[in-house]
Amino acid sequence: MKLLRASFENFRLLRDLELKFSSDPERKLTVVRAANESGKTTILNGLQWALYGDAALPGKGEDFRLHPIDWDGSGGHRVPIVATVEFEVTTYRRGPSGLRETRRKFRLVRSAFEEVNGKTSRRSPSTVRLFALNDTGASPIDAPEALINDELPPELRDIFFTDGDRALSFIEADVAVSTKRERVQRAIRALLGLGVIEEAIRHVRKASSDVNKQAKQIGAGSELNKIASRLEAIDEDGLKLEGELDDAEQQFVAFDEKVEETDRKIATALQKGDKEKLQKDLELALRKIKHLDDQLTAANKEHSALFRGQYVATDLLSPVLDRAFGKLEELHDQGKIPNTTIPVLEDRLSAELCICGETLKPGEPDGQRRREHVQRLIDDSKRVDEIQEIITDLYYGAKSLRPVSDAGSRWREEYGKIVKSRDGLQVLSDEAGREFRALELQLDALRDTDIQGLREARRQYKDQRDRSLSKQSSLGTQLAGLRREQEVLKHERDRLLREQEKGARIIAELEVTQDVTRVLQSAYERITHDELKKVSDLMNSIFLEMIGADPEQGAIIRRAEISPDFDIIVYGPNDRTLNPDRDLNGASRRALTLAFILALTKVSEVEAPNVIDTPLGMTSGYVKRSILRTAVRESAQLVLLLTHDEIAGCEDIIGEAAGVVLTLTNPAHYPKMLVNDPHVAERKVLRCECDHRHACRLCQRRTDAEAALGVAT
Amino acid sequence: MADRYFNPFQAIDINVPVDLHEAFTRYCQTGGNAVIDQSPFPRMVDLWFLAVCVAARLNLEPVDTAQYETRKIIDGSIFGSDPWRVHTLMLIAIGKTGDVQIVSEPRKMMSIASALAVAGLPKVNEMLKNGNAEPIWNLSDAIDTALRSPARIA
Ligand SMILES: [Zn+2]
Repeated sequence: MKLLRASFENFRLLRDLELKFSSDPERKLTVVRAANESGKTTILNGLQWALYGDAALPGKGEDFRLHPIDWDGSGGHRVPIVATVEFEVTTYRRGPSGLRETRRKFRLVRSAFEEVNGKTSRRSPSTVRLFALNDTGASPIDAPEALINDELPPELRDIFFTDGDRALSFIEADVAVSTKRERVQRAIRALLGLGVIEEAIRHVRKASSDVNKQAKQIGAGSELNKIASRLEAIDEDGLKLEGELDDAEQQFVAFDEKVEETDRKIATALQKGDKEKLQKDLELALRKIKHLDDQLTAANKEHSALFRGQYVATDLLSPVLDRAFGKLEELHDQGKIPNTTIPVLEDRLSAELCICGETLKPGEPDGQRRREHVQRLIDDSKRVDEIQEIITDLYYGAKSLRPVSDAGSRWREEYGKIVKSRDGLQVLSDEAGREFRALELQLDALRDTDIQGLREARRQYKDQRDRSLSKQSSLGTQLAGLRREQEVLKHERDRLLREQEKGARIIAELEVTQDVTRVLQSAYERITHDELKKVSDLMNSIFLEMIGADPEQGAIIRRAEISPDFDIIVYGPNDRTLNPDRDLNGASRRALTLAFILALTKVSEVEAPNVIDTPLGMTSGYVKRSILRTAVRESAQLVLLLTHDEIAGCEDIIGEAAGVVLTLTNPAHYPKMLVNDPHVAERKVLRCECDHRHACRLCQRRTDAEAALGVAT
Repeated sequence: MADRYFNPFQAIDINVPVDLHEAFTRYCQTGGNAVIDQSPFPRMVDLWFLAVCVAARLNLEPVDTAQYETRKIIDGSIFGSDPWRVHTLMLIAIGKTGDVQIVSEPRKMMSIASALAVAGLPKVNEMLKNGNAEPIWNLSDAIDTALRSPARIA
């Protein structure tokens, strides 16, 4: 899909605004030039509201006013809010003369009313209508959501409509790992259309429960009937629990975001209140806690690794191993393990030097002759019987399993280290927790109602977040228990079925559904794996190209990848992982998220726009230019909402790539930042056709210096 | 031969009595258990192998699995990723039987290990549960104790 035009009526600052988007494949870029507070974010929200409704608004639209804030009631208390988006969908059909391309145009209109009553307002549920546009006019289409879901899946909203700052949430360290992972995973699965396979898996599951019903019907009141009924109940419980688990996971992510957001607000409030030191200390304390948490997790894993390693086995088994090696030694002493020479000889061959010091280099005549001789010796030795071969292999191969006579237990040594490290880290972690709580007490003592309000909000969000987390784990435990019970019962059911006459057929059917499930499951995993790798590779190459011109970062950053766990990871020299927050500068972080978004859109082969608000903030110079150039190349349709600062230095690229450039102005910026009085009393954003190189009476701005001095013309 | 590695247990399934299966879903992380302290074993094979080792260490009487209804937990191909385990299983068989020739009979070697595992599993279960801490600590302390006390040799 490509965006063609959009218009807004009474949508916050956009009282009446029309935008046109470039759909020219040669000039894929549309630039909306707008200073801060001139409607950029509102456009992003407006487009998403038009396509997806209230759910796409901040906070899902709750307490989110849509009508202009200075609505004075003279136009009535019922404010009509309308957003219209026109777009084009290209479909391909295989015809007799090859691939046939069809383009169809649509107009989507979403409208709602807000009842304004003093400071409060109430919004009616929005209605949406979709029209197919043709030469003769517009014909309405039923079920508009279906088309939108196909063309711009809602799960990918974050990918198609991106706020340059918010986009960083895919990588930023202060967002919970699970949250980032969940976002990346959701985006990737949605783009790859894995929903279809998920649906198929659900379908087969249902089929298998149908077969269970047949089992139930055999012999009412029998043991088999009882077990099949129990399995049926477990199936239902399982589905219910899975749904609840899904909800809990989503809730966790939502509240986690809220907590982070509130933290940022508190930080800003503290800075405003001259409490910078306290803010810094808090940040530091939090970082310390997180760092220690990571270390504790790592120590935990090491502890667990004690039970998969070799030491636990060799130490416990030492008496048995002693005895076995004793047997082997006897054989060896009796000369029954003759192949000692083979490894030695092979060693010599690869070292190209004989035991006697003569050369075994293949290039030299003497060396080559001796090589052949040694090889003959090896071949002869290999012709011993099989058992001897296995024993020999064991004798030499199991050296590392031989008990070390003087040393104590190596496992106990390792365990001692782990106890020390876990205990030590726990002490540090407790200490860091105390420090943090002490700082929180200082915060409590602040008599700043804003901050206290925010903290109360944070407490509540955190409470809810923690609750959804504990709900997650309790649901997870219940599910695991259910699965265990299911396994045992299935086993029992199948055993009983086998005893029945009709059972064989039912078992066969069950086996088929199980096979199909396995096939689907593995297809699902393979696609995820393969496609993930494609997205990862493309993201890496786009990212490296974007930051390639940055000498400072170029030396630090080697590559970026999406791990099988859906983490976005950046590597430095020697494959050291980098912390995006600490080791990457603002420009690189932006480049990384843009690279991810562009790679994902591209690999999906969905033709879709990328609308990005302030993509070039925090970037400058060559990096800024290469981010812009790469983004234009990799996107099917790129709509950038840019400030004047972001445009500076990229005028030539925009000149080449942009099919549409327009400017938005907020009249309220007069006289501080605008040169001329626009004579507009209402708060609204105005559009002019000025491109990135020009300015008119309306959009002409004061230079920063003038604005600072407050000079009037 | 030096760079050839073979896994004689490749084609052999590993089964445990149905009653002992629960420990595998509960104490192994592959069962979807994320809390390491509660589920100390990375994979099912790690628990099974530890049971073999514990039984050998404590010289527990091997249990003939033929008398139980069993369930498969893993297949022998898992040892392909850990060659040292293959060697260890062979050495256990030699140590237990005193017969070196047994190395050419993978099924015999595996049934020795299996009988030990079934003998050791209830003991490992006990190690995980007995104590005041999480299973990982209970188990670690129990192994620590076992390693400090002299092994019982038959
Ligand atoms: Zn203008």
